[in-house]
Amino acid sequence: MSGRPEAIEAGREIFRIYCTPCHGIRGEGGRGPDLTRGTFSAGDQDTDLFRTISDGVTGTEMQSFSLVFGDPGVWRLVAYIRSIARAETAPPKGQAQAGERLFWEKGGCGKCHVAGTRGGHLGPDLTRVGRQRSLAYLRESVTAPSNDLTPGYFTITVVKSDGRQITGVERGYDNFSVQLMDMSETFYSFQRAQVRSVKREYRSLMPDGYGSLFNAAEMDDLLAYLVSLRGAT
Amino acid sequence: MRNRIYTLALAVAAALNAQSERGAWTTYGRNLAGWRYTESAQINSANVATLRPEWIFQSGVIGKFEATPLVFGGMMYVTGASNHAWALDPLTGRVVWHYLRPVPGGVNVCCGQVNRGFAMRGDKLFKLSLEATLLALDPRGGNVLWETIVDDYRKGYSGTVAPLVARDKVLIGIAGAEFGTRGFVDAYDAETGKRAWRFWTVAGEGEPKGDTWGGDSWKRGGGSTWITGTYDPELNLTYWGTGNPGPDLNGDVRPGDNAYTCSLVALDADTGKLQWHYQFTPHDVHDWDAVADPVLVDLAIGGRKVKAVLHANRNGFYYALDRTNGKLLVARRYTKVTWADGIGPNGRPILIPGQEPTEEGNKSCPGMGGGHNWQATAYSPQTGLYYFSSTDGCGTYYKTTQDYIEGQWYQASTAVGVARESSTGSILAVNPVSGETKWRFDLVTGPTAGILATAGGLVFTGDREGYVFALDARTGKPLWKFYAGGTVIAPPISYELNGKQYIVVAAGGSLLAFTVPR
Repeated sequence: MSGRPEAIEAGREIFRIYCTPCHGIRGEGGRGPDLTRGTFSAGDQDTDLFRTISDGVTGTEMQSFSLVFGDPGVWRLVAYIRSIARAETAPPKGQAQAGERLFWEKGGCGKCHVAGTRGGHLGPDLTRVGRQRSLAYLRESVTAPSNDLTPGYFTITVVKSDGRQITGVERGYDNFSVQLMDMSETFYSFQRAQVRSVKREYRSLMPDGYGSLFNAAEMDDLLAYLVSLRGAT
Repeated sequence: MRNRIYTLALAVAAALNAQSERGAWTTYGRNLAGWRYTESAQINSANVATLRPEWIFQSGVIGKFEATPLVFGGMMYVTGASNHAWALDPLTGRVVWHYLRPVPGGVNVCCGQVNRGFAMRGDKLFKLSLEATLLALDPRGGNVLWETIVDDYRKGYSGTVAPLVARDKVLIGIAGAEFGTRGFVDAYDAETGKRAWRFWTVAGEGEPKGDTWGGDSWKRGGGSTWITGTYDPELNLTYWGTGNPGPDLNGDVRPGDNAYTCSLVALDADTGKLQWHYQFTPHDVHDWDAVADPVLVDLAIGGRKVKAVLHANRNGFYYALDRTNGKLLVARRYTKVTWADGIGPNGRPILIPGQEPTEEGNKSCPGMGGGHNWQATAYSPQTGLYYFSSTDGCGTYYKTTQDYIEGQWYQASTAVGVARESSTGSILAVNPVSGETKWRFDLVTGPTAGILATAGGLVFTGDREGYVFALDARTGKPLWKFYAGGTVIAPPISYELNGKQYIVVAAGGSLLAFTVPR
């Protein structure tokens, strides 16, 4: 059914009604993952997409839709999701092995990001990021990390009652308390009533312009490494 | 066991007179006017800081716990998600009986397999099941005394509302406007379950206001009634808010005002005959249901007492109407609104052009859920303030064309949050006469929970993140909080038993009871 225009159009209608609340009107993600990357955490085959939509994903808000759409409806959705994959899904030009060295050494990315069994815990875990993000998205994440923030990674600044300021990455944020982790991975928890101010900003603690650390070839290598991070399964 | 049976027998006897039982909670809004106000003041602003959990009932049921528990005759009755219900010992939270009716496959619901509670009359409990069947249960054991099919769930109808008892009748509303149904309010004989009347909330062809729908669009016109109404015994009128027209976001297929959707309807409780209606959002295209509690309060306006009905609408305006005739008394914006520049003297909104959904998406405020959505509100005669919650933000609204298939989702697109503009929320205390906001307690995300007001000078509510908390009813200052660890959706309730006041609220899949130490 993939590639058939009438199936794609029927899938688009289903998508706009059922899927956009989580995946966005263009499938670019939101509460749910970006579906335009052409690569998916549950597998990249049509049958993987079919299974995910039909059965849902345990432990997430992705419910089972097999009864809602029936098999034909699910296949139409698969056709539509395939059709919105960005053209730019070609394999990266760089060398993943070289990128791995850049990640851990020159880039120092591992100070804040886990990749596999090691790394820091301030930023998002990148162990499966090759499945979760497109190449273009990853490039933007390195060069302009605040353009699209991973949910839950806002920057929090707390001014304590003694005037001392602590800035870190959000670990919790509610009406009465705030939790954050600073650059040294120290965890803090404050009651809002006991501090002078709490500020939450839509920006990454990863500095803008991080990409200028690398020349063009190095950037390709780094991206090749990130794309290769696909987790154990 | 014998003692328990004796107690239950007493409970049923007491239930006959439950409406006046101090400290009990016998109907969805605590009184028929929907105030959600308790005269109990044992827990008050001076000691609320010492409030602590007395018991926790863990239902084990996954799904949103939205119910208002009933308490009378020494027993608590509460409904859960997916057709579960329980009788609990209100002193300990221990289960006395559990009722479960499996949900048939093919029941389509927009927003979870939820239920908002029981109603009671004499020796019967009433519950609307998800598959749109009305049940009368025996409070002594939870066995079914009668059941009546309200309508066909395969057409998209579902039941989530707590029924309302008005004299000898059980009134219910229906859900399903997202599935191309035609909404109604029904009344059933409390003893037999036989239907007494039906009021269609969508005017049909040839009926009064039938010309407010183009073609046969009324057949799929929505207007569901998924939040419990209120009842004025003196006027013998029952008040129900109606939901969005269908399909929600594409109004092209239903030209006209689309009566009686997004309206408040006043019905004769004996006959179901429409006495008056007021349409808050004619020809709605933003899914701004008008289902919020219609709260009955007598207001002093211009030196005279006016029988009013208060309503905080999803469209961003607070309204007070004369409940004898539906005339507008006051309308005032309480959150950011971009679609209307106030409400005109004729009661119609003064529309701002360019606010409708488009294929490519169009920003409008409030967002899809409102404003104030369905969460229970409260009125305190002690402070004279009306308390409700608001989501403060905007939405990007899309529309598309969609063929109608019976029983299937029929919304014709959707709305999403505006990029980088996270909605926040607030708990508001509003002067019901002027509509002026007296205080506002800001929330970091949109509100989820209902509200309880108490004679102890307190307002209880909860939040999305899992706190249950108390605010000073006069100032909005937070006085107590407890992290329950699960989103609070239901409104808190209160009752007195053995001289002790309890505050009870659901959070996540649990029901928590709080008391102050003595």
